[in-house]
Amino acid sequence: MQNVENEPELVRRAQKGDKRAFSLLVKQYESTVYGFAFKVCRNEEKAAETLQDTFVNVYRKLDQFNGKAKFSTWLYQIVTNNCLMKRRRSKLDESSVSIDSPENGAEDSDRGGDGAPLQSLILLKQTPQDEMVNKELREILDNAILKLPMEQRIVFVLRDVEGRSSEETAKILKLSAPAVKSRLRRARVFLRAHLQEYIES
Amino acid sequence: MKTKRDLAVRCEEVTKHVCEHLDEQMDSPRCRQLRKHLQECPDCTAYLDGLKKTIKLYRNISTPRVSQSVHKKLLAALKLDP
Repeated sequence: MQNVENEPELVRRAQKGDKRAFSLLVKQYESTVYGFAFKVCRNEEKAAETLQDTFVNVYRKLDQFNGKAKFSTWLYQIVTNNCLMKRRRSKLDESSVSIDSPENGAEDSDRGGDGAPLQSLILLKQTPQDEMVNKELREILDNAILKLPMEQRIVFVLRDVEGRSSEETAKILKLSAPAVKSRLRRARVFLRAHLQEYIES
Repeated sequence: MKTKRDLAVRCEEVTKHVCEHLDEQMDSPRCRQLRKHLQECPDCTAYLDGLKKTIKLYRNISTPRVSQSVHKKLLAALKLDP
């Protein structure tokens, strides 16, 4: 998430009802919120819904933001809550298990990624064969992460994908540092196990 | 020379530790011990490499941008001018 130079002032103005200031905040953070939502739910439509729900909530709750935390931390609290609520509402959640169980349900799919030797495969979409490999890899990555309980998935995305610190992740999720570590460890172990075959090949 | 049993017990410790503290400084005496174990144990090294590779895969995953239509819908929902 980028830092906005005059962000506190922008937030204060938005809190006083300045639509232009709010509009600037939306513009500044929409790609961050959308990107995070996509990384968690792996689906463009769901990411778009989460984006909208998040900013509607931000607008409604803006007067509750007291400036003690960073605006971005507060925003992440809202978007993560939206992801969790969406997950709970989803019928697909039936296949999901509790917070700390590594075994659980599935969700949707799309997009994918790369790694050290695989990075070039993803970034250089040159041939139909490359695209097939990219698609296959995306599916593997999506399928694995979607099997993670949402609570672990969010920790993994915040810490390992977005690079948020342990402290900020704990603040965002209102968890203790050991709880964040425990969820992160479970997520890492689970994903590594699910990608083992791919990694070793 | 460590027995196989010692190594097995410590492998468990090492994998748990690296899973929790992968991105942190490993400078305490205990961490130095674990690091030494990693140097001597190809299984744990492979495990650690696999973890790093897994994270890298997800970190480098491509993420779509906000499309114009999604942006417009957002502004409309918030009753903001385009």
